[in-house]
Amino acid sequence: MENDNYDGPILEIDKLSISFFTRLREIPAVMDFSAKIMPGEALGVVGESGCGKSTVALGVMQDLGVNGRIVGGSIKFKGQDLNKMTQEELRDIRGSQIAMIYQEPMASLNPAMRIGKQLMEVPMIHEGVSEKEAYDRALEVVTDVKLPDPKRMLESFPHQLSGGQQQRIVIAMALMSKPSLLILDEPTTALDVTVEAAVVELVKDLGKKYGTSMLFISHNLGLVLETCDRICVMYSGEAVERGSIEDVFDKMQHPYTQALFRSIPLPGADKNARPLIAIPGNFPLPHERPEGCNFGPRCDYFEDGLCNENKAIPMYPVDGMERHETRCLKFQEIDWNAPIEVGAQTEKPEPGRVVLKMDNLKKYYEVAASALFGGKNKKVVKANETLSFEARESETLAIVGESGCGKSTFAKVLMGLETATDGQILLDNKNIEGTSIEDRDTQTVADVQMVFQNPFDTLNPSMTVGRQIIRALEIFQIGNNDEDRRKRMLELLDLVKLPRAFADRMPRQLSGGQKQRVGIARAFAGDARIVVADEPVSALDVSVQAAVTDLLMEIQREHKTTLLFISHDLSIVRYLSDRVMVMYLGHVVELGTTDQVFAPPYHPYTEALLSAVPIADTSIKKKHIVLDGDIPSAMNPPSGCPFQTRCRWKDKAGASLCESEVPPVRVLADGHQVKCHLDDADFAAMEPVIETPVAAE
Amino acid sequence: MEPLTWTGSLGSILVPAIVITAGAFLTGLILQLIMGLFAPEVKLQANADGTLQGRGGLLGRLENYTGHLFLLFVLLCAAFIVLSWFMPYGDAGIMGEISKRFLPVWISLIITFTLSIKFKRSLGLYGKLFDSTIGMIGFALVMFWVFTAIFVGLFDMIATHDPLSQISGIKNKTPGFPVPEGQDEGFFPHYLLGGDNLARDIFSRMVEGSVIVMVIAPLATVFAFMVGITLGLPAGYYGGRLDTILSFLANLILAFPVILLFYLLVTPEIVATGLPNFLAAFLFVFPLVFFGVLINSRFKTQPSKNMLYLAIVLIPLAWLYMSTISAKGSPLFIWPNFLDGFDIPGGILVVFVSVVFVNSPTVYRIVRGLTLDIKTRDYVAAAQTRGEGTWYIMLWEILPNARGPLIVDFCLRIGYTTILLGTLGFFGLGLPPESPDWGSTINEGRKLLLIYAHPALPPAIALLSMVLGLNLLADGLREESLKD
Repeated sequence: MENDNYDGPILEIDKLSISFFTRLREIPAVMDFSAKIMPGEALGVVGESGCGKSTVALGVMQDLGVNGRIVGGSIKFKGQDLNKMTQEELRDIRGSQIAMIYQEPMASLNPAMRIGKQLMEVPMIHEGVSEKEAYDRALEVVTDVKLPDPKRMLESFPHQLSGGQQQRIVIAMALMSKPSLLILDEPTTALDVTVEAAVVELVKDLGKKYGTSMLFISHNLGLVLETCDRICVMYSGEAVERGSIEDVFDKMQHPYTQALFRSIPLPGADKNARPLIAIPGNFPLPHERPEGCNFGPRCDYFEDGLCNENKAIPMYPVDGMERHETRCLKFQEIDWNAPIEVGAQTEKPEPGRVVLKMDNLKKYYEVAASALFGGKNKKVVKANETLSFEARESETLAIVGESGCGKSTFAKVLMGLETATDGQILLDNKNIEGTSIEDRDTQTVADVQMVFQNPFDTLNPSMTVGRQIIRALEIFQIGNNDEDRRKRMLELLDLVKLPRAFADRMPRQLSGGQKQRVGIARAFAGDARIVVADEPVSALDVSVQAAVTDLLMEIQREHKTTLLFISHDLSIVRYLSDRVMVMYLGHVVELGTTDQVFAPPYHPYTEALLSAVPIADTSIKKKHIVLDGDIPSAMNPPSGCPFQTRCRWKDKAGASLCESEVPPVRVLADGHQVKCHLDDADFAAMEPVIETPVAAE
Repeated sequence: MEPLTWTGSLGSILVPAIVITAGAFLTGLILQLIMGLFAPEVKLQANADGTLQGRGGLLGRLENYTGHLFLLFVLLCAAFIVLSWFMPYGDAGIMGEISKRFLPVWISLIITFTLSIKFKRSLGLYGKLFDSTIGMIGFALVMFWVFTAIFVGLFDMIATHDPLSQISGIKNKTPGFPVPEGQDEGFFPHYLLGGDNLARDIFSRMVEGSVIVMVIAPLATVFAFMVGITLGLPAGYYGGRLDTILSFLANLILAFPVILLFYLLVTPEIVATGLPNFLAAFLFVFPLVFFGVLINSRFKTQPSKNMLYLAIVLIPLAWLYMSTISAKGSPLFIWPNFLDGFDIPGGILVVFVSVVFVNSPTVYRIVRGLTLDIKTRDYVAAAQTRGEGTWYIMLWEILPNARGPLIVDFCLRIGYTTILLGTLGFFGLGLPPESPDWGSTINEGRKLLLIYAHPALPPAIALLSMVLGLNLLADGLREESLKD
């Protein structure tokens, strides 16, 4: 390559504008975007969905599809303008000098080709090396991404690997040709937290080892903090703030960045004493952007006549800080150190009587080898093993765990979609574990309702919003006639703070957060007393998350609802739950109040989970615990303690004990129980994972 | 009366012009294809005002020319049609007279298209169809035959003669042959597309045939869909043994040679056992079941409304059902005569049974696949957790969201059914032999094809254009429904 000795910026984007052309109009996706990545540097691009961050990545790859065009500006890669290259020259660069890693690993791998073949293709096509050499290099890279048994890996097909392993292979493929620039588009969103932590760690190490520059696109500020040197915050197609991680995180100079940080649950936030501050209003659609500053209508510092003047706002450099710029007209006037205005404080409601009690609940599935001629080779999947807990009125119980831990199965059994194998569920001292949903009376069904995870899936796309809520009212036998129910439906819309006009809208006309609110309204249609919220905010943008979480809390306070909050996001769990239950492979490994679970002594799994969650606060120091390997399959669980294959404390408790016996439930303090073989001395010696500096509080 | 020429007085100018334009257009297209192979790749670039820069150079100019030539070609054809309207009888030739006969159809088409294009933004998927050229062409072809069927069937407008009456002396005569003097007055003076071997007017038979095709093909397809949906939804939703058994049966029917099945259905011995009637009784009950369950699952919570709606829908349907399956002489003569609204000729019954038999397994598989996908959605889980009945979930939560692919398949399947009608008619099955439907007339014309080609061609072209139209329409719908 002629540019081998190039030492300028690897990527230089100058005033880039990208538009998509639909049959109705031109939609500007990215406007006036500039960025510079030096060799070995990692730039994080952060923003909510629809802000154009992925479009920037696709623009760099010159892969905008039929509708997308670069309408202005330039993208220079090692000094060459990518816009002016022909398809052939671009093909040469893609995959060899610029590599991209996408969100969904399975979609990036060819399911019909062995891993080895796919990896070897890269240098064979781009550099024309021999098969032998390509194989050696593939082996080397697969070893580098820390996959066990690299030779066997190369022989396997993508579907034989787990999600985390697949993503490692994708990273390996990107590294095969030693690219100068690596673009990562939400590379860990589809992975579990502990796996995500390991992949992020790997990306960071490899970046250092190979000296690769990185463009890291994410919606997660914590993740960017852990991986990048510099950050660019995007809002509605524009970069609003740009600078080094420390400058932007600690000395932010744009109201949007500030609002973003205030709406994420950092340690220290509390639902009663210090509630999150949601950003008011909605993200503007690309063709409905306001005049002047895009963030103007939602900004606390908005000044009429200045911020909404129809004039493009340039990036202003911030004095005294190197390469720190902001797109705000008033950044010099705003007092950035002003204390956060504390939102409305609320009294913590006292938990009432026990409404739901689980006792030794078990749910096993029998999986036959063949659907038609099954019988002999039946396998038992233990989805839930001896689940026992109580939930009280107006209490929030968080159920934490990664995929496959059995939390969804538990929800299904509670809802009556499945019946329990053993044990009992008591709802107001009435056994319901054996009654499936068809046999439950209307009141029981209305009492236990659910809020679902995916806002784009939770509403029937071919029915109006009002109709769906009215249907729930009909089935719960509320209201005597259609007018009654319509009135009640409009009240429910008021309850979730949606305009009444939404009753006649179709779900596709609503944003994700609005859909989730309708889902909540539907769940509360029959005045539900127990609401199972299955990751209700994980698919929403951060600024919307805060609003939806607060709404849930508010309804809970008013209706004294018992909230079972299923989540893998420990930050939000810490923020809103009263008690926490940690699950792993069907077992409850730890149960206690929020303070008990988030402070030592921990169960080893809780410890790892806490360490894995990225926190967007530079002042917080985390202990670094990376779990090896993946979660074992529930079809084939390890013997003894379910966590023993990945536990770093295993040696202390005696490896043979952990491998042979399921640990007993130990009560450490009042209401705090842990399933572990460790002895008291080891528990006492545990250090906190997250260290919050004293000054911050 | 003089025989008519093909193009009349317009022919001397317009026809050579059309031919030359078409030739030039085709040459340009081929040249363009060849040059495209060697041309440098284009980098699409936007101008400052947001418009796109076109491709320059020789190829770019050629692309422009061919585009213009195509427009000219369309214009010339349109001019031919429009001019013929204003010419006195006989001057415009056969083509002109035919175009004149179709005048109500042309007017309806123009009105439909003007209105649709004007309001396409507020018409949902139907409006989006008018963004796709392919879809528009398909829609125009289909609507041409739909309007023809309407005007012939309801207003008796387009046909020139009675499709069954014969006029002696015009047996196997070529297109444009004049009706001999001295026949009864009030006849249209020419056989526009000639006469068949029973001296009947081919043009009139073709347009009359469209009525039969337009009534039977969509109706039979609807029945096939009812059966496929009613069985496919539970198979996909419940899965397990039910799915295994139903899918096995569907595969069995698909593997069975259908031609043999058709022959079996009309064999006198089989008809005597009443098998076709029993099959029809079984298959026709599906719409009743479908609508009954559809309404019941939705209004179960409001019993008074439920009864009312069920009565409104089910009583007429039940009457239709009983009238359909009960006929004199059939083993199912169970319905008192004064209630029997109509009798369906045995041949048409066979057509329905065979069409449903052949198409429903495929529909079943499509619905089953869609159900398997949609049942994993959260809104289905939400319906389950509020205790909805399974039929409500299947019919009101799953089915409406499977409509996209089903609409497309419906269009394609009407096309298949039309061809199947032709096939059945071709074997002499189903409809009565003198029926003017396209399949039968093609079969009729086939016998003397080597001597007289003209009787078989018009119905064949009609069938071709309609099936092509349906396929293009389905393509357009699919393409447009995929876009945002």
